[in-house]
Amino acid sequence: MKKLLYSIAVILLLSASGCGYNTIQANEEAVKAAWGDVESSYQRRSDLIPNLVEVVKGYAKHESETLQAVTEARAKVGSMQVTKDVLNNPQAFQQFQEAQGSLSSALSRLMVVVEQYPDLKANQNFQDLQNQLEGTENRINVARTRYNKAVEIFNTSIRIFPNNLTNKLLLHLSLKEPFKAEAGAEKAPKVQF
Amino acid sequence: MARSRKICAFQRVLQRSPTMLLLVACLVCLAPPASALEVPKLQGRVNDYAGMMSPETISGLEAELRNFEATDSTQIVVLTIPSLQGEGLEGFSIRVAEAWKIGQKVKDNGVIFLVSKEERKMRIEVGRGLEGRLTDLMAGRIINLVVKPRFKRGDFNGGFTAGIHAIMDGTRGEFKAEDNQKTSGKHAPSEFFSFLIFAMVFILVVSNISRIFGAVAGAAGLPLLVSSFFSVGGLGLIILGALGLVSGLVLPLLFSSAGSFRRGGTSWPGGGFYGGGFGSGGGFSGSDFGGSSDFGGGGGDFGGGGASGDW
Repeated sequence: MKKLLYSIAVILLLSASGCGYNTIQANEEAVKAAWGDVESSYQRRSDLIPNLVEVVKGYAKHESETLQAVTEARAKVGSMQVTKDVLNNPQAFQQFQEAQGSLSSALSRLMVVVEQYPDLKANQNFQDLQNQLEGTENRINVARTRYNKAVEIFNTSIRIFPNNLTNKLLLHLSLKEPFKAEAGAEKAPKVQF
Repeated sequence: MARSRKICAFQRVLQRSPTMLLLVACLVCLAPPASALEVPKLQGRVNDYAGMMSPETISGLEAELRNFEATDSTQIVVLTIPSLQGEGLEGFSIRVAEAWKIGQKVKDNGVIFLVSKEERKMRIEVGRGLEGRLTDLMAGRIINLVVKPRFKRGDFNGGFTAGIHAIMDGTRGEFKAEDNQKTSGKHAPSEFFSFLIFAMVFILVVSNISRIFGAVAGAAGLPLLVSSFFSVGGLGLIILGALGLVSGLVLPLLFSSAGSFRRGGTSWPGGGFYGGGFGSGGGFSGSDFGGSSDFGGGGGDFGGGGASGDW
């Protein structure tokens, strides 16, 4: 009788699709992969900025303040040590998001200012950079959305039963932070030709 | 009259009881949000939902794109919609890309040319694998220099044809079609083995209840397991069933003679089935599209590359 009970218990346990150990691991890897995309698309934007600043400088000499704001925001982003650790550290994540957010708003200010310089807007070099910048902002959006989705799946997977027990006893993973929409940062700077 | 009195009574109840108010508020919140624009069905390579092209242009482009896919394996798809209904162009575009999965798996070589008629907006969405050739810059130039002037003149047929030709020229040579792109039956063998181990443990447990149960589980389980990973013929299934029957009978004997199962208490054999190969079991569905006669996306991935424009 006892044996029968044990057997039933084991069958029930196994049919509840295991303890979620593998699911949690797979989901965490998915979050890391999605984070890689976020980082690389932000990096792509940082790489574009020096060229952009250089081109704008040639035409809009009076906008040195705006240009400087962009350069400084970029420098701040560049100085941040971004490691995989960011994912498990809500504070570092917050800082990363703030730094990127201020770069976003500095960039969109620059793009508004640029509207007053028809010569600059007509410059082929500048148009190309605009194209690339728009594409990059879109990539950032896509990467952020996907990261948030991956985080949602991961967070759910460590909270539902019986995965929460597995996590508590074996893995000790904490909930991961999603990106929050912030004023101005969620939108690509709208650039009109 | 009676109806308005009823409404008044309802309002009075609401005013009197804040709990009721809260309940109603909750119900309002539960109402589904305004539905986002639905991704239309993938009908073929040219999906002219806005009716912007002539039938000759559509069939011409269909044929060209089919040939292009046959030689280069790159999938290019056109979608026109009447209106975005307030949704952002880029957001809708990436949703279409995620739903249709244009491009071959792993190669990620798909391109979607999306046009919204009412907003006069368009976008070229580029799959990850083509981002190196068809850069955002290139896509932007195709939109602004090739398509836009023609659309401005009202020459939609010419705009689409020229735009698609430019996209094909931009992506030509990046990928080559392979003779056989079938990828079925190539699931990770490690997955198969973890299922096999799991099945063995299962049989052990079942046959602990009854020897006959174990034999039946073995006879049914082994063919089922193998056939879900590899393609097996009818005779093969029978052989596998017999093999499973025998192993279902023998396996528990092996373990009971080792004695680990009979020792009272909770000692399970091996203890090694903690999370044995589940979780990763979701990897069966829909990984294989390519090669079928009717058109479908091949599982290509998009990362938001490409360019947008208007006319």
